[in-house]
Amino acid sequence: MILEFLKMNGYGIYIWLSYGFVFLSCSIVYFKVLRTLKKYENAYKNELMKLDAKDRDKIAKNSKVARYVLSSLKETV
Amino acid sequence: MFKFFSPSKLFKIIDWIINSIQSTFFLFLITGLTFALVISPPDYLQSESVRIMYVHVPAAWLSLSIFSVMTILSLLNYIFKIKNFKIFNKCLAPIGLLFSATAVITGSIWGKPTWGAWWVWDARLTSMIFLMLLYLIFIITLKFIKKDNLALMIISILSLIGVVNLFIIKYSVEWWNTLHQPASITLKGDISVHSSMLIPLFIMLIVFIVYSALIFLMKYKTEIIKMKKKNLNRL
Repeated sequence: MILEFLKMNGYGIYIWLSYGFVFLSCSIVYFKVLRTLKKYENAYKNELMKLDAKDRDKIAKNSKVARYVLSSLKETV
Repeated sequence: MFKFFSPSKLFKIIDWIINSIQSTFFLFLITGLTFALVISPPDYLQSESVRIMYVHVPAAWLSLSIFSVMTILSLLNYIFKIKNFKIFNKCLAPIGLLFSATAVITGSIWGKPTWGAWWVWDARLTSMIFLMLLYLIFIITLKFIKKDNLALMIISILSLIGVVNLFIIKYSVEWWNTLHQPASITLKGDISVHSSMLIPLFIMLIVFIVYSALIFLMKYKTEIIKMKKKNLNRL
């Protein structure tokens, strides 16, 4: 029964090739975008952590993004 | 109104939406694939090969829709100089490229059992390849041309060329004799697809839309962080 399903009445190769291509290309794009996001998120966190506490608080007070990134850092710590 | 779209204001909401999609996406995907590969019936003429439609058609629809949105954003950006719209376009273009390539490649795979050929240079297929090229030029322009005004001008021109191409893609099957079949679902609401195939098609369309939203928001979040990091370095 599984073999029948995979064969798809003789069209299996075309169907699985299409779905395989879509799955692979979408997965590659997703993981590439995720990796870039994490890379910049960490780089920004590190830049913030390099600042002294006074400057960091000042930036956190003025920037919602910095505040959010710092709060997520506290959660992970 | 445009202040509402400021990156800082959107950041927290974006993060929440990304997390929500990431935790529910598999559910959408499994539902879509079950309908597309198991529940939907084979076609009386094309047999099981019709199942390629469930990835080919949503990809083609989305590649056309994304280009339309990008054109509107480019023209608005050209008139009102809203920098955020340039960032929107930067995040949308790779998704459009992915889906136009998906439509072309899955269409080519579908063509082999249906037409007996992987590829023919007919109007629909050639105009889809041209759309893919436009996306590619869009991405290269946004990435490598640093002068904002020049990039904006090139993108606006590309958008206008792209709009003409969108009409060619849409009406090519009516204007010329092509191997590609005419539209089964028209903008006027004429539908010649049975509900047993229409439901899986729309479920797969939702899966593709949710995926696009996820990639768009992740890319947009990256752009916001890049901007903030640049500002931090200036201090």
